[in-house]
Amino acid sequence: MALLEVENLQTHFRTPDGVNRAVDGVSFHVNAGETVAIVGESGCGKSVTSMSILRLIPEPPGKIAGAIRFEGRDLLKLSDREMRDIRGNEISMIFQEPMTSLNPVLTVGRQIGETLRLHQGLSRQQAEEKAVEMLTLVGIPEPRRRVREYPHQLSGGMRQRVMIAIALACNPKLLIADEPTTALDVTIQAQILELMRDLKHRVGAAIVLITHDLGVVAEVAERVIVMYAGKKVEEAAVGPLFNNPKHPYTQGLLGSMPKLGSSLHGDETRLAEIPGLVPSLKAKIPGCVFASRCPHATDLCRQVAPALEEKAPGHVAACHYATKEGAIAA
Amino acid sequence: MFAYVVRRVLATIPVMALVALFVFSLLYIAPGDPAAVIAGDQATPQDVERIRASLGLDRPYLVRFGAWVWGILNGDMGTSIFTNLPVTTMIAQRIEPTLSLMVLTLILAVSIAVPMGVLAAWKQGTLIDRAVMGFAVLGFSVPVFVVGYLLAYVFALELDWLPVQGYTAFSNGFFPWLENLILPSVALGGVYIALIARITRATMLEVLQQDYIRTARAKGAGQSSILFLHALKNAAVPIVTVIGIGIALLIGGAVVTESVFAIPGLGRLTVDAILRRDYPVIQGVVLLFSFVYVLVNLLIDLAYTLFDPRIRY
Ligand SMILES: Nc1ncnc2c1ncn2[C@@H]1O[C@H](COP(=O)(O)OP(=O)(O)OP(=O)(O)O)[C@@H](O)[C@H]1O
Ligand SMILES: [Mg+2]
Repeated sequence: MALLEVENLQTHFRTPDGVNRAVDGVSFHVNAGETVAIVGESGCGKSVTSMSILRLIPEPPGKIAGAIRFEGRDLLKLSDREMRDIRGNEISMIFQEPMTSLNPVLTVGRQIGETLRLHQGLSRQQAEEKAVEMLTLVGIPEPRRRVREYPHQLSGGMRQRVMIAIALACNPKLLIADEPTTALDVTIQAQILELMRDLKHRVGAAIVLITHDLGVVAEVAERVIVMYAGKKVEEAAVGPLFNNPKHPYTQGLLGSMPKLGSSLHGDETRLAEIPGLVPSLKAKIPGCVFASRCPHATDLCRQVAPALEEKAPGHVAACHYATKEGAIAA
Repeated sequence: MFAYVVRRVLATIPVMALVALFVFSLLYIAPGDPAAVIAGDQATPQDVERIRASLGLDRPYLVRFGAWVWGILNGDMGTSIFTNLPVTTMIAQRIEPTLSLMVLTLILAVSIAVPMGVLAAWKQGTLIDRAVMGFAVLGFSVPVFVVGYLLAYVFALELDWLPVQGYTAFSNGFFPWLENLILPSVALGGVYIALIARITRATMLEVLQQDYIRTARAKGAGQSSILFLHALKNAAVPIVTVIGIGIALLIGGAVVTESVFAIPGLGRLTVDAILRRDYPVIQGVVLLFSFVYVLVNLLIDLAYTLFDPRIRY
């Protein structure tokens, strides 16, 4: 049994001008200790998917349907109390915005300690000791001094380290990291990724890593899920996905990937952008969600939505024309 | 920090000086010649002149202002024209009921209004929220004396649970003291509660949208910890500021409330002094109220660091 099984997840938002199907029928699983990346353009529903797992979507206007089984228990059926016992304890999360994700009026030590006191019943004293330990673990110098400081006294990179310390304090089985490095500058990004990889080996947690940086994916993930307009369009192990992408959208994303280090050396390698815009999530699209931007789209694509199909062992894609050989045979 | 406190205290001196000048000038802004009023209807012009001289009203304006300020700095606020008692003595006799009323109202209002605002923000858009907001509008629009008379009628005359009016000194026991003050405090607190509840709700709504609240949820924090620790502490600065500014409402309201409930406090003293054109008393009381207001707001400014570590001095 997988650690996490997401089945037909649908997270919809009610808005004044119609229902926004931010996540529309996504299924995937994460095995214990595994690192799975979710990639896709901005607005395709990556954050909503990850926040749905912890039920952090505001309801209303949001509505989560489907099943999210964690160690066999459907999280969507748990009471609020039971859900609180899981958050920060068995599943924890790191957010996209390190600058604003820490509470500005509480000390770093208190914020790390809060998780420990909630889930492990530590005293204030013990929690602070453990907080110092955690700061050491995530590589913050002078942890005894830092533990009494407030977030505004720390840099962005250090704040993200503190977020990681909070997330790992209770040895979670699953860590969801929603673009943990996007807001940081390049050298800090590398340090944070290195830290996550290192800690993953020590703690043994499974990781769901959300990012639109394919370079990061290639470095840390074992399996990749590609999302487009609220749907999963392709899934494969890292190697096959990069070497033999089946879905035209994935091919486009890989084409738009900047050459490693190009920005550092000032090369003029422009991003090959995928032409067109992400369709509105409010209108039901009859055919393939990517048809409007796909260079290979036919009438079939515009009329019939392709099902997710296994194109090669462990490699699924939702495209009428993706063949087992891996090329588009139009 | 210490240097900052000293600087802030020093900064209130020009403010107080300006207030003093304004209060002193009241005598000239208001219509009527105090000497003529005191002398009475039957007085001759010579009588009026004599009184004017004895009060020092014939000396130049700035000289009298200087003498008045000098007196105040030495604990002398002048003598009442009407009772011939020192103004400080008259204030001392009347200060306990007013202080009791205001402190009790403050405690009552804050302990009702803040949870009310938090609840409304948490339950935004629900019936609870609308009830709180409705109450806030009502609190703003119904005058203190209407609430006062209504409360006195229902709880004192009809139900006979509480005394209709009057004041019992604190030295006669806590409960008799409290019994007399409950209705006046509720009447006086209405507007104040409305004000604090509104600002609490508005600030909390903004804070609850912040990323760190989501972080707290993701950690497994319970609802009350999210509301009262993570959110309220961030909302504290604007709320506390409004509590300070609202003291002005309490001062104005206390004058009316004391009249409605026949409480022998500074408010009544002020009203009586105004009716008699007893300028030394009016000036003394107004100056005292201004001083309290400035002092409270100074303390609140100094307290900001307790709530928000980002505020540095
Ligand atoms: N609270 C909300 N109310 C209404 N719509 C929402 C809400 N939260 C998210 N959405 C919508 O859900 C869709 C998916 O958003 P999401 O944040 O998951 O994108 P993303 O893939 O994480 O993008 P990014 O890479 O920019 O972080 C967007 O259209 C967004 O407008
Ligand atoms: Mg996102």
